[in-house]
This record gives sequence, structure tokens and C-alpha cells, in this order.
Amino acid sequence: MSLEKITNLFDARHWIGHMEADYRYTLGIAGERFFKEIKENARIMGAKCPKCGVVFVPPRLYCEKCFMKLEEWVDVGKRGEVYTYTIATIDIDGKKLEKPQIYALIKFEGAHGGLIHKIGETENVYIGMKVEAVFKPPSERKASINDIAYFKPVK
Amino acid sequence: MFGKKRVAIVGAGVTLFRRNLKETGKELSFHAAKMALEQAGMELRDIQSVVMGTAPDAFDGVHMKGEYLADGAGAYHKPYTRVFVGGGTGVFAPLAGWWHVASGKFDTCLVVCEEKMSSCYPHPQYAFTTIFDPILERPIGMNLIWIFALEMNRYMHKHNIKKEDIALVSVKNKRNALDNPIAQLAANITVEDVLNSEIMAWPVQRLDVSPTSDGAAAAVLVSEDIAKEVTDNPVWIDGVGWCIDSTYWTDRDLYYPDYVEYAARMAYKMAGIKNPPKEIDVAEPYDPFDYKELHHMEGLLLCKKGEAPKLTREGVTQRDGDLPTCPSGGLLGCGNPIAAAGMMKVCEIFWQLRGEAGKRQVPGDPRTGVAQAWGDLMQYGSVIVLRR
Ligand SMILES: [Zn+2]
Repeated sequence: MSLEKITNLFDARHWIGHMEADYRYTLGIAGERFFKEIKENARIMGAKCPKCGVVFVPPRLYCEKCFMKLEEWVDVGKRGEVYTYTIATIDIDGKKLEKPQIYALIKFEGAHGGLIHKIGETENVYIGMKVEAVFKPPSERKASINDIAYFKPVK
Repeated sequence: MFGKKRVAIVGAGVTLFRRNLKETGKELSFHAAKMALEQAGMELRDIQSVVMGTAPDAFDGVHMKGEYLADGAGAYHKPYTRVFVGGGTGVFAPLAGWWHVASGKFDTCLVVCEEKMSSCYPHPQYAFTTIFDPILERPIGMNLIWIFALEMNRYMHKHNIKKEDIALVSVKNKRNALDNPIAQLAANITVEDVLNSEIMAWPVQRLDVSPTSDGAAAAVLVSEDIAKEVTDNPVWIDGVGWCIDSTYWTDRDLYYPDYVEYAARMAYKMAGIKNPPKEIDVAEPYDPFDYKELHHMEGLLLCKKGEAPKLTREGVTQRDGDLPTCPSGGLLGCGNPIAAAGMMKVCEIFWQLRGEAGKRQVPGDPRTGVAQAWGDLMQYGSVIVLRR
């Protein structure tokens, strides 16, 4: 084996190549309905398993525990609780972010699972903090998870 | 006995782990495979089947990476399978090798694991951005460090664990790596160094994390009949286990790896292990982050939930402690060429049980060891129990 230490990635003889491919991902049956509710009604929905009684957020077509098809949908509300969080200070290149960004896993009362999203309107965050979804104005919503701009603390 | 044949490891090999090696992935695979064959005293023609473990295609930058690496793994004109369960691949590959031989179908199987992460530039982190759900998570801009930060934070919160105690893992493993000739990031550092290192995504700091690496590792697996012919020191694969948790990581409690526990229980049951802390002499849990060693010790039932930081503080997990943990230097000290890193842990337990670990040898004539890897989206556990 070569034992010399290479500190610069480009010191070894190399060839530059790309693996380019673009994708168009369908939202799926459950996803279409979930994002339609977000876009048109600013509602966060869960899907309830008729057998386990578990309400899954985000909603799915089937229960992974018992394989029942999930047909009952329930509104879990805009309010949730910070289950855990991180304060990102550098980006993927290792460069400092202009402003630290808080990301949190938000869980909803009575529901299993949760949503990962940004926390805004505050620099303070703690586990157990009550938060509420801030939706973009209807004209800017595109049936995407980013139709929720961020979650803000509940006053 | 499980399966038709008892399975032994009779040779192992690990290349250097470095941020950037000149060798191609094929060449790295060849070096590791050749070393394993040499230790086994066998030649390629003695090998009846080959298993390759390698993680996402996006690292090496070759779609169909299994096919691309086949010649380096010694697969020419042989039954060949590539297995892939994310970061869990390095311990899953020898499990796949085990069933090749345990089934009675083959008497020998060469297991090779490889990763060449430096191909993906400027940083292999880019390859990780496409592992997330394309609808729910990628539009938020998730990055792997961030989700580990979320998990680490929940673990610390649940058990009221201080960062100082978690940092001790990084200090221990980087120091253990000083005795490992393959190591990329061996160092004598202090808890303060970890706590003062750059914050990446709170609570994760630079020295909490293992580096990205190039490297390969391999082992020769044989049936009992062949083992008796080629060595006086076989190391038996006595337990295997693997399990996946919910595909939605947002569904999991995050402070405890259930899937590791299920995999460990499966492996321990097969090995007849009833009291893991008493019966396991040396452990190599997966440690891409310092908190993960603690998390995984708990999942491997080596201690109670939330107790791993205390054991670490008391020195129990040091090389000369009651439960030597990551004597190799782990991923934090040796580097983290994903699949090769998990396989390196299996090789380390093999050498430890044979008394061949040199300066890294744990005292007390160890007889039973466990290695574990963790992968996919924080939800896959693979566990192997080895015995002399
Ligand atoms: Zn169900």
C-alpha cells in the first residue's frame, strides 16, 4: 500500500467526474392528502390505525406495526412540543452560518411520530417547549413541508 | 448449534484508514482480502464464495459499486453478493458470510468491506443529503450531523448526562488508537479539548465526531472441518443478530436504540449468553460519535439505560478495565470508512480473542467478544458475538 500521507485531496492523480440525475418524487396517496390539508386548510393531520389506535404523524397509508390500511384521518392541531432540538452553526461545507438555525423534532399531543422543522421568532429553545406552526400565506403555499414557514413559541 | 455448520473466522486484514488514499476502492479491497487470506494461510482458489459490504454508491461515485469492486474482493468466477444496510454494513457483511457457510452451501467465504469516501468532494457529507425522505425532510435542508445532534440532545436530556462525560469516550478512543498502526486520528487529547472544539450543531462539536476515511477490511470465514485443517486458533461466530426500527426516525424515542437491543438479544440467545456484562470480555460498539458508544453499550445490554457514562467515568471501559470497550481506538481514533469501519471492529475482536492485538491487547485472556454496527437512518443494528 502507499504509505505517504496525502493532505491535499488533489495531490493524487485523478479524474473529475459527475453523477448527475434529477428526480421528480410523487407525494404518494397519503402525502397528497396531507399536503393538500396543509396547503388549503392550514391543518396538520394524522392517520389513525383502526386496530392499534395509534395516530401517526406524518400520516401514512398503512400501519407499519399491524399492516392495517389507515383510512381515518384526524386533525392533530397546530400546536406541539419540542421533543429534542439542535442549534446548527455551520453548513454542509463547514462554513459558519450567518445566523445559527434551530431545528427541532416536534411531537403533537396524542400522536405518534412528529415533524422535523425550523424554530423561529426566538433564540431560546428547550426540550418541552410548546410551539405552534406558522403557515405561509395561502398564495405562497405549494403543498410542501415548507408551507409551514417554521414553528414559533406559544406565548 | 444454529445452521448446519459451525462457522469460524481464521484470518483477518485491515488497510490503513486515511482521509485520502491513492489506492482505488478495488485496490483497497484487494489489500484487505490478501491480508486476510495470508493470515488464514489460504489462497484465492480455496475461497468458494465472496460477500462484499460497502455503503452508499454515492461515496465512491460508482452506481453498482458491488459489481465495480468485485475483482478486488476476489470474486472473479465465484458466487458473489453485495450487502448494504448503511453504517450497519460492516458487521452485517460477516453475518451474511456466516449464513453462506452455516447453511452448508459453502465451506469458505471471503468477506470484504470497503469505502472510499474521498472520491466525493469537497466533502462526502454531500452524499448524505440524499439519504433523507425526499418529501418530508430534504426540503427542510437536513444534514446528517444535525439529526445526530437531535438524538444526542435527547439522550443527554433523558438521563441528565453531562457533555464532559460523553467527551471521555473521544479521549479514550483517540488514545487507544495511538497503538493502532492503521489509525487516522490517534491523539492524546483532553476533555477540555473536546469541549473547546468547534460547535457544529449543538450539542455536537468537532471532536465528538469521527472523520471520513478511505479504507478496507476483510476476513476469511470457514466451516468447522476446514477450520480444524488450517488453524489451531479458530474464533467462532457464536451469535448473530440484526434488526431495523421504524423507517420514520421521528417515530423513535431517540434516547435508546431498541433495534440494537433486539439484535443483541438475538445474538446472545444464539450464543447462550444470559448475563452480557459478566460474560463479555471485550466489546467494540459502533462509535462514529462519542455519545454513540454509550448509546450502543446500553443497547448491547452491557449496562443499564443511562449507566454507560458512569462506567466510562469510572474507567471500566478502558483497555485494562473490567469491560474494555473499543480497544482498537474505534471510529473516533482509527477513522470511519463506513463499511470497513464496522468490519475493522470484527477483525479487532478476532485478534483480541487470539491474543494477537499487540500493544492493544486487553489483559485477562479474553474468550468472548461482541462487535456491533449501526446504520441506515439511525435505525439499523447488526451484532456479532465471537468466541475462542
Ligand atoms: Zn396498527
